[in-house]
Amino acid sequence: MMEVVLKIEKLEVGYKNKAILSPITVNTHTNDMICIVGRNGQGKSTIIKTLCKLLKPISGNIFIKNIHLDKITDKQFSKLVSVVLTQKININHTLVEDFIAFGRYPFTNWLGTINENDRIIISEAMNLCGISHLKGKNFNDLSDGEKQKVNIARAIAQETPVILLDEPTAHLDLANNFETFKLLKKISKECGKSVIFSTHHIESALQLADQIWIVNNSNFYSNTPSNCIQSGEIDKLFTNTSVKYNREKNLFEFD
Amino acid sequence: MNLLKSNHGFFLFLLLVLATVLFFLDILLGSVKIPLKSIFNILTHTKIEKESWEMIILNNRLPKAIGAIVCGSALSVSGLQMQTLFRNPLAGPYILGISSGAGLGVAIFIMGISVFGFSVSAYSLLFNYGLLICSFTGSFLVLMILLSAIYRLKDIMTVLILGVMLGSIFTSVISVIQYFSFENQLKSFIVWTMGSLNNVTSQQLYFVLPIIFATLIWSIVISKQFNLYLLGEDYARTLGLNVRNFQLQTVIITAILSGIVTAYFGPIGFIGIVVPHIARLISKTSNHFILVPYSILVGTNILLFADILTSLPNSETVLPINAITSFIGIPIIIWILFRKAKITNVG
Repeated sequence: MMEVVLKIEKLEVGYKNKAILSPITVNTHTNDMICIVGRNGQGKSTIIKTLCKLLKPISGNIFIKNIHLDKITDKQFSKLVSVVLTQKININHTLVEDFIAFGRYPFTNWLGTINENDRIIISEAMNLCGISHLKGKNFNDLSDGEKQKVNIARAIAQETPVILLDEPTAHLDLANNFETFKLLKKISKECGKSVIFSTHHIESALQLADQIWIVNNSNFYSNTPSNCIQSGEIDKLFTNTSVKYNREKNLFEFD
Repeated sequence: MNLLKSNHGFFLFLLLVLATVLFFLDILLGSVKIPLKSIFNILTHTKIEKESWEMIILNNRLPKAIGAIVCGSALSVSGLQMQTLFRNPLAGPYILGISSGAGLGVAIFIMGISVFGFSVSAYSLLFNYGLLICSFTGSFLVLMILLSAIYRLKDIMTVLILGVMLGSIFTSVISVIQYFSFENQLKSFIVWTMGSLNNVTSQQLYFVLPIIFATLIWSIVISKQFNLYLLGEDYARTLGLNVRNFQLQTVIITAILSGIVTAYFGPIGFIGIVVPHIARLISKTSNHFILVPYSILVGTNILLFADILTSLPNSETVLPINAITSFIGIPIIIWILFRKAKITNVG
């Protein structure tokens, strides 16, 4: 059994003291790639935001590497969890290389000096994401797909055991979408990280994820992809719609 | 960060040389013609030819030139920091109502007796630093209101509009105070609003210089936090920045910088907005470790130049500095707008 990285106990998430989901109890391990799926407005982002400390949990406990989240300062947290959010980053006059260097900021001194070791980590992150050719470009001149990869490389350079991503494949075309999935899978396997992200691309998630978290009608369900299909939880996501899931082909079809 | 490897060192050096030249030109040029050699003698205390010349140089022109440096660097850096904090290219002490806040403080200080029946300036203890304290309190108040608005309103644009509104409210309160005040106090307040580098005594400079210097050093020291903040509040937090602490520090720094400058030199417009854009344009970086020195030097150069223009050689008239900075500032803003479509990118 792999080491438990993230331990979630009876966690209730929501806004203004109102829980929007049933209590969540789940563990993640090193090398796990976890996809959170669910319809719009069901609470995928709320879970992500709570896990990245941007939102306070209503009740329950979160442990990262056996430390309670309440006991982790912002500074320590940045060395445990790296985050890729949906909001667009608008930063002018900044080279891709320097942007990825932001991932090293939790480790650098007050001047933000990048040493030789940091440089190696940054170039490895760029290699892993296949963006080494972009390093001298201006961040703002990149396409959406390239920006997403650069931001993921920044998260990798942060060298945290957990990476959280909120809809990393949104706004991306089909090719970039598949590539991002493959990249995230590679990161979880090669770098020994827990990679957790929300997505609407359920077919890709069912093919590649080690675990699927389903949020639907205020319920939280977690299982392996095949069990999610067998138990009919995937079908439940599309009740009362004209979409139907074809188990044999792993495809969504019109009813 | 790699200040020496890139061209930044060279450019900064050029700006420093230019500033030095302008500094001496500012001392050289004025309504009374004093030869360069005599100025040099006076500044080095070697030989005194005319006492009146010594008076002019040491009590008027030198403090004025130093005042220009203080104003230029303080306003520019506070503008740069506000643009990053509010993520808005038009942020600056003037537009966000901070100058008006400081102005209200000064109005109460100067004209308070006619309206409220008592004057803060009547107490001898308060007289020396009262102007400063009133102005600082005013600007700090506006910034605190704006900051509490940032916490509540997610949209930064709303905060900017709030700043403009606050400025208008404060301005109308000032006009009410003006309406009821005595003529001589009214005149000294109006003169203050025009902005002037002339009214500063060397003694006040001894007091102001170390504070401004220390605050500028403080701004450079927390540049890493400013760089992180460029990514947006949420990203900055997940990268380990203590966002509230950072915002509070920034508000205090800008209140000190713009509050002190406004108290002594009046509300000098457009420097705070324009200079950070020029600094970004020539440095082509978003790194605050580099942008802060650029802003200091560009601001210093522009204000020294403006001050030279206020008192043209061989003419008795002295124009208000505020008019000159507007003449220089507004065309530059328009030029940037046309040259660079993406002025909205603060980073």
